[in-house]
Amino acid sequence: MSTISSPLAIGTAPQNDAAAPAAAPLLALEQVSKDYAKIDRRGGQLRLVWNLLRGRGAAHVYRALDDVSFTLARGESLGIVGENGAGKSTLLKIVAGVMPPTRGRIAVHGRVGALLELGSGFHPEYTGLANIDLAAALLGLPPAEIDDKREEIIAFADIGEHIHDPIKHYSSGMVVRLGFAVATALKPQILITDEVLAVGDESFQKKCIAWIENYLAEGGTLLLCSHSMYHIQKLCRHALWLRQGRVERYGDAMDVTQAYLAFHEEKSARAKAPIDARVAVSTGVYSVQSLDLAPGDVVPQGADVTVAGEVYSPDDRVPVILVGVVRADGTPVYGVATDMDRVAPRRVAAHRFAFTLSLPALPLLPGKYFIRAHALDPEGVRLFDHVERPLVVTGDSREMGFVRLPHRWGPP
Amino acid sequence: MASVAPARGSTASAGVGGIRGRALFANFLRRELFTRYLGSVTGFAWAFIHPLVLLVVYHFVFTMIFKAQRFGSESFLAFVAVALWPWLAAQEAIQRGATCLTSYAGLIRKVAFPHELIVYASVAATLVLQFAGYLAVIVALVLYGEPLHLTGLIVAVPLWIVMAIGVVGIALFFAALQVFVRDVEHVLMPTLMILMYLTPILYPLEVVPEALRPWVALNPFSWLVGRLRDVLIAGRLALEWGDAVALVVALALFYGGRWVFRRLSPHFDDFV
Repeated sequence: MSTISSPLAIGTAPQNDAAAPAAAPLLALEQVSKDYAKIDRRGGQLRLVWNLLRGRGAAHVYRALDDVSFTLARGESLGIVGENGAGKSTLLKIVAGVMPPTRGRIAVHGRVGALLELGSGFHPEYTGLANIDLAAALLGLPPAEIDDKREEIIAFADIGEHIHDPIKHYSSGMVVRLGFAVATALKPQILITDEVLAVGDESFQKKCIAWIENYLAEGGTLLLCSHSMYHIQKLCRHALWLRQGRVERYGDAMDVTQAYLAFHEEKSARAKAPIDARVAVSTGVYSVQSLDLAPGDVVPQGADVTVAGEVYSPDDRVPVILVGVVRADGTPVYGVATDMDRVAPRRVAAHRFAFTLSLPALPLLPGKYFIRAHALDPEGVRLFDHVERPLVVTGDSREMGFVRLPHRWGPP
Repeated sequence: MASVAPARGSTASAGVGGIRGRALFANFLRRELFTRYLGSVTGFAWAFIHPLVLLVVYHFVFTMIFKAQRFGSESFLAFVAVALWPWLAAQEAIQRGATCLTSYAGLIRKVAFPHELIVYASVAATLVLQFAGYLAVIVALVLYGEPLHLTGLIVAVPLWIVMAIGVVGIALFFAALQVFVRDVEHVLMPTLMILMYLTPILYPLEVVPEALRPWVALNPFSWLVGRLRDVLIAGRLALEWGDAVALVVALALFYGGRWVFRRLSPHFDDFV
């Protein structure tokens, strides 16, 4: 309960900004570009080395980042979204100082300390304990100071005897546990996380999110890379959408993530429709051809939501359609089928039937849900296919549960 | 994965000497010493037994089979031991140094830190252990009755330091090159082996034909081997002009290697 209904860190960030309006941003990137050298023939390596020694760039390059600018003020939180290969990891590497940008400037006004990479930055051959020492050394902590913190880190990580094993034998969840433990003890000025929340079980994710929210509430600064729009919206005030190395959109987290999701929907709709039709014809079963949510996948609490879609019928009889709402963890919230309400999907073309379900003033509480559409035979007995879409309901309500029941507090 | 807080001016070469640089170097060195050598049986063998076996084999082959001349009145065993050890130390330091970055690939790709610290730690670990072995063998040979001057160690230690400076430079050069050109590793091994026979380790410079002698003497290692024999076998402790030249050559190797390394290290993360 604590993580989902606790006040969002987003709410605390503006106060920090207001407290220090004139302060220089913690991090500023100005027109940063990064070219990677490409080696496209034999002997290309020697030519590359020769060019680098002469102080020239590589002859053949791949541009991973192109003219990226943004600033990150103290206490702010920025999410970075984009497809695979859009340049997110390259951007984080440049921010972390792992490599210099090819062009442009990067300014960091924070405590001088190393980037401390958790997870993949640990040395796989080292034990958990040795990695704690390595992390401390990378941050420039004197050994005396790390002695004080070692116990604290081991306790937070809570991985038992595994702390004496090499990291390479750890599960990915255990690595992240240790990473968070180190970050907790060493109190970074900017927390950079790359898909760290995707690893680990549900309860550990909640623990991580709670930890980050607390970190943000205390004035910490966050740079979060994620494919989960839910996490971006929950933890970040601003977002930056990278597309093929360029900034496609930069601004309010909600606006950017919605634009990004819309882009993906268009893309998958273009790519998917004809393929599905072929498959449906060949298998000859009732199938859901499309499912769309209006106004979108992310809606504020109490919005009017419309679920629409099309179902394929192999024998051109009128199928039954069941629409359900489930919580992100799979708990059903509500479901209703066309035959229950004695309505029929309308025939829009041969073998194709469309349906529209309006959910006015959606009473779902903020959180992540799935809208599922099931295709059933005309008798409403056999279930053939289902398609689901994520739906994020936003808001800052502190009510508990899944739905808002009509209620009234009266005099006793 | 999560990562924490960036460094200002965090190019890979910055901050070698600061608190952080020293802590990291100590961490890497401890790791190299304990895990790579002392942690495994084969590592230990590499450090001590391998040179010892080589020494015995050379002694046997050259004195029993080839009946090599004694090169004056010296014992052949002492003559080879004094020179063979530093060569093997340098050879191993260069070979290990050239490939040491690979095992830290994960760190190099994700964390900003001066990459040269890894090479320093690798070379230092090898040389420290090999020097300990050298001392042990010299003392053992003296106890065995070989004609060696222990006082020569006063000069031998600085000679080793000069060698170490040059070796670090060579290791830096090949370590940086190895990241881009994987063949370095395979070319290095036979090259170093050939070089060993071209260096007056198993024979004195005087037996080399007159015409070739200046070429063999050009090898900095010929100088080192000659000097070590001067101080440990002949017991001459006086410094020479050549020592200063050798120091300059070693420093040139070091700064040259480091220049190449620092030029290439910002691009490591993509290739390592």
